[in-house]
Amino acid sequence: MSARYGMVIDLDRCTGCGACMMACAAENNVPPLPQASARTGLTPLLVRKVSNGLEGSDRREVFIPILCMHCEYDTPCVHVCPQQAVEVDKATGIVMQMPQRCLGCRYCMTACPYHARYFNWWDPAWPKGMEKSLNPGVATRMRGVVEKCNLCHARLHAAKEKAAAAGKREIDPADYVPACVEACPARAIRFGNLADPKDPVAQESQSQDAFRLLAKLGTEPKIYYKSKEPWVQAMAEPNSGPIVEAKHV
Amino acid sequence: MFPGVDGFHWTAGHIIFLCLFFAVVLTIALTVISAMRRTIGDFRSHRAIDLCWHADFADLPATDRRCRHELAGRVISRICPNAFDCRNCDKYSEFAVLPAKGMTHDLGLNYSSDRFYHRAHTWVKPEEDGTVTIGLDEFADHLIGRPDSVKLPGIGSEIDLNQSAWQMKKNGKEISVRAPIEGTVIAVGGPKENWYLKLRPRMDVRDPKTLRHLLRGPEVYGWLSRELERLQLQLGAPDAAPTLADGGMLMPNLMDTVPRADWNTVLADTFLEV
Amino acid sequence: MSSTVLTDSRWIARGAERTSFSRFLAWLAPWSAMLTLGVYAAFLCLYRGLNQTNMDNRFAFGLWIFLDLGIIALGAGAFFTGFLVYILKRAELRPILNTAVVVGFICYSGAVAILMIDVGQPLRAWFTFWHPNTHSMLTEVTFCISCYLLVLCLEYIPILLRNRQLRRLPSFLVFEHQLHNLVPVLAGIGTFLSFFHQGSLGGLYGVLRGRPFAFRHGFFIWPSTFFLFILSAIATGPSFLMLVTATVEKVTGKQLVPQDVFRRLGFISGILLGIYVAAKSIDTLIWLNFTSPAEGFAPWTYYIHKPFGTPVLFAEIVLFGLIPAFLLLYRKTAAHRGWLFSAAALACIGVLMNRFVLTVQTLALPTLPFDDFLTYTPSWQEVASFGGVIAYGVIVYSLSYRYLSLFPQPKGEDAHVPRS
Repeated sequence: MSARYGMVIDLDRCTGCGACMMACAAENNVPPLPQASARTGLTPLLVRKVSNGLEGSDRREVFIPILCMHCEYDTPCVHVCPQQAVEVDKATGIVMQMPQRCLGCRYCMTACPYHARYFNWWDPAWPKGMEKSLNPGVATRMRGVVEKCNLCHARLHAAKEKAAAAGKREIDPADYVPACVEACPARAIRFGNLADPKDPVAQESQSQDAFRLLAKLGTEPKIYYKSKEPWVQAMAEPNSGPIVEAKHV
Repeated sequence: MFPGVDGFHWTAGHIIFLCLFFAVVLTIALTVISAMRRTIGDFRSHRAIDLCWHADFADLPATDRRCRHELAGRVISRICPNAFDCRNCDKYSEFAVLPAKGMTHDLGLNYSSDRFYHRAHTWVKPEEDGTVTIGLDEFADHLIGRPDSVKLPGIGSEIDLNQSAWQMKKNGKEISVRAPIEGTVIAVGGPKENWYLKLRPRMDVRDPKTLRHLLRGPEVYGWLSRELERLQLQLGAPDAAPTLADGGMLMPNLMDTVPRADWNTVLADTFLEV
Repeated sequence: MSSTVLTDSRWIARGAERTSFSRFLAWLAPWSAMLTLGVYAAFLCLYRGLNQTNMDNRFAFGLWIFLDLGIIALGAGAFFTGFLVYILKRAELRPILNTAVVVGFICYSGAVAILMIDVGQPLRAWFTFWHPNTHSMLTEVTFCISCYLLVLCLEYIPILLRNRQLRRLPSFLVFEHQLHNLVPVLAGIGTFLSFFHQGSLGGLYGVLRGRPFAFRHGFFIWPSTFFLFILSAIATGPSFLMLVTATVEKVTGKQLVPQDVFRRLGFISGILLGIYVAAKSIDTLIWLNFTSPAEGFAPWTYYIHKPFGTPVLFAEIVLFGLIPAFLLLYRKTAAHRGWLFSAAALACIGVLMNRFVLTVQTLALPTLPFDDFLTYTPSWQEVASFGGVIAYGVIVYSLSYRYLSLFPQPKGEDAHVPRS
C-alpha cells in the first residue's frame, strides 16, 4: 500500500516566525552561507510575505511557506533531469533528489515553477565548532549540485527502522514528522498521507478552503494551502485578482 | 534508472533511444576503422604512394600539369587528368600517333634517344640485363650544381613510382627527387658517377607499357623548351621585362651563381613538389 | 629568401599568398590576450565555484546558456552545407565546404567548453551517458552534441592533414584520402545528429510545463519549439557562413569564393527563413490564444514588464525575421552586396534574439502570482570566458586559413581534377 505524503499549510495561522525555516536548516545540515544574497541563499523551505497590493487600512498581508510541492503528474524536474538524479519514490510519493548524482546543470531549476530548488553556489562551510551540531542522519552536499526539500526523508528512514526493530511492517505515523511540521508553534503546517482517506490531513486537503498554487499547470502538487480569505485563495490562479507584491522575510 | 538497478524497466523509449545512439556510434566507429584498414591495405598493396602522388598532383599549379602531348605539339592544349599515368590513359593511343613538333633550335642541353625522361627531371636507361639505370637530367644538374649532401636509399629497398627516391641538400634547400619507375634498388651511385640508382623494375621493361609514361624523342625537346622558358622567367630580375634569349645555353651551377632567386618556387616546379 | 628572418613559409601552401609571419603574430596578439583573460575567468569559475557568476536561484541559466544556444544555431551552417553538397549533390556549394567545417568545429567545441564550466560538477559529465533519462531533452542534447563534435573533428582532420608539411608523411596523406572518401557517410550522420540536437535544444524549453511563457504543444513528444529551432538554425546557418566568409575576404583583401556562392546561400537562407517566420507566427498565435491561457496565464501579462514589451515579439518575428527573408529573396536586393549581407546579419541577430527570449526572458518572467519580474547582469567572469571562446574561434580560424586550404581555388582550366 503506497503512501502519498503531502501537507496542508494553514495560512490563516502562519505567523511568519520562521521557526520552520530554522528547523529545516538544522535538520538538513544547510550551511549558514553568510556571503549569500536573497537570490543565492539556500532555503529548502522559504517563508514569503505577500500582500494584497493595497495600502492603508485595506492592506492585508499573509506569510506563505514555499517548499518543494512534490508534484505527482509528469513531475517537471524528474522529466528534465539528464541523468535521473531526481525521481518520484513510488512508495511514498516523495520527489527524491540525489545530490551525489547531480551534475549541476540546473535544468530542473528552470523547470520548477515554484522555485523550490536551490543550487549550492559555494562550498558548504560551518563556523568552527558548529560542525558538532550537524545532523548525522543527513549527508551534506558539495558545491555545484542542486538540492531541495525531500520531506525529511531521513526521519522516514528512522521511523522505518524503528518499526522494523519492533517487528512491524508499517510505520507509526506519529514517528515520521518532518522538522518544519514539528517546529511550527502555531501548528500551521500539517503533514499526512493523502492516500489514506482516514487521514485528517487528507480530508482537510479536500475542503473548500484548500487550494494549490498554479494548479492549472497540471503538475498535481501535494502541498495544499488553506485560507478563508478570498484574496489569499485567489493566489491559486496567477492571473485572477490584482498582482500582489512579495517581500522576502 | 539503469538495467540491473532495482526499479528499472525497459520502455519503448529506452529501446529506441539506445538503438539510435549505438547505431550512430557504430557507424562513426566503422567509418574510422574502415578508413584505417583501407589505409593499411593501400600500404600493403603499393597503392599508398600512388594515392599520395595523385593528391600532390591535384595541388600542383596548372602550368606544371600539362599533358605531354601538348608539350610535344600533338595537341593544342590539355591538362593531364591522370596524374601523368600514361600507362592507364585511354587517350594515349589516340594522341601518340599524331605528329610531334620538330626541333627548332638547339637547347644546349644533352638528351639522348636511348634514355627515357621523367617529368621530375630524371632519366631512365634500360640495360640489357633487364635492370634500369636512373640519373638526374642535365637541366636539374645545371640547376643544382654539386649538392652539399645526398641521401640515397639502401640496397634492396623498394621504391614506388613518384615516391621520393633520393634527397639532396644544397644551400640549405631540401630537394626530393621523384622515382621515375618502381622497383628494387640493386646499386647506388651518386653525383660523382653520372648515375644515381640502379633498379630491378617491378614490371618487365621489354613490355612497351612499362615505360610508356616516360618522355622520349621529340617530346623531350618540347618539354625542355617549356622548362627553360619557365626557368628564365623565374630566375630573371623581378622587375625586368621577360626577355627571350635566342640560342643561349643554360649555365651550370645556377644555385650558386644566382643565389637571390626564389629557389623554393623554382625547385618545387622543377621537381614537382607541392 | 633570407633564412635569418623567422618565417613559417614551409607550412604555407605553395602559391598561397599570406601576410608575413610577424604581421600574423601581431594579428594574433590581441586575440591571445582575450583568450588568456577568458581562460583565467574560466579557471576562477572552476576553482572557486559558480558564485563567481551573477547567476542565482531564479536565473539558473544566464549569459552562457544563451550564447551556447546562439552559437550552436549559427554553427548549423556546417552540417547543412555538408547535407546540401554530399546528400543533395549541390556541387556549386563545394567552395564553402571547408570553411563551413572549420566554423562548425569552432562553434561546437566552444559551446562544449563553456558548458563544462557552466555545470556545477564538470567531472560528472559522464553520468548523463551512464544514467540517461530518455524523457529528458537535455540527455538527447548531450548525446547528440558529443557525437556531432566527434563527427566535426573527423571532418576537420582531412583538411588538417593536407597541410603542406603534414602531408609529407605518406600515412597521413593516404589516411586523409580514405577518410575523405567516407565523408558522405559522416555528412549523413552529421545531418541526422544535427536535426535532433538543434531540435532538442528547442525542446528544452518547449517541454517546460512550469514556464508557460516557453511551454508549447507539438507533435507527439516534440513541442513546436523543436521544429522551430531546427528551421531557424538551418535558415541562419548559411547566413552566418556568408558573413564569416565575407569578413575573411575583407580582412585578407582577396576574393575567396565565386560570388555566385553568396547569392545561393542567401537564397537558401531566405527561403528557409520565410518558412520559419510563417511557422513561428502560427505557433505564436496558437500559444497566445490557446496554450498559455489553458495554463492560467493570460499572454499579454508577459509583455507588461519593461523592456520586454510586445516590441520584442514584433522585433523577433518581423524586424529580424520577415524583413531579412524578404531582402534575401527579392531579386533586386539579393543582387546587391550591401543588402544581401545586411539581410544575413539581420537574420543572425534574429536567431540570437529568439534564443535570448527563450532562455533569459523565460526566467525573468514570474510564475507564482507574487513573484517579481527579475533582471540579471552577467559578471565579468561570464563575459570574459565567453570572450575567450570568441578569441579561440578567431585564432583557430586564422591558423586554419593561414596553413590549410580553406578555400580551394580552381586550378587553371581544369577546376576539378578528378581524384582516383
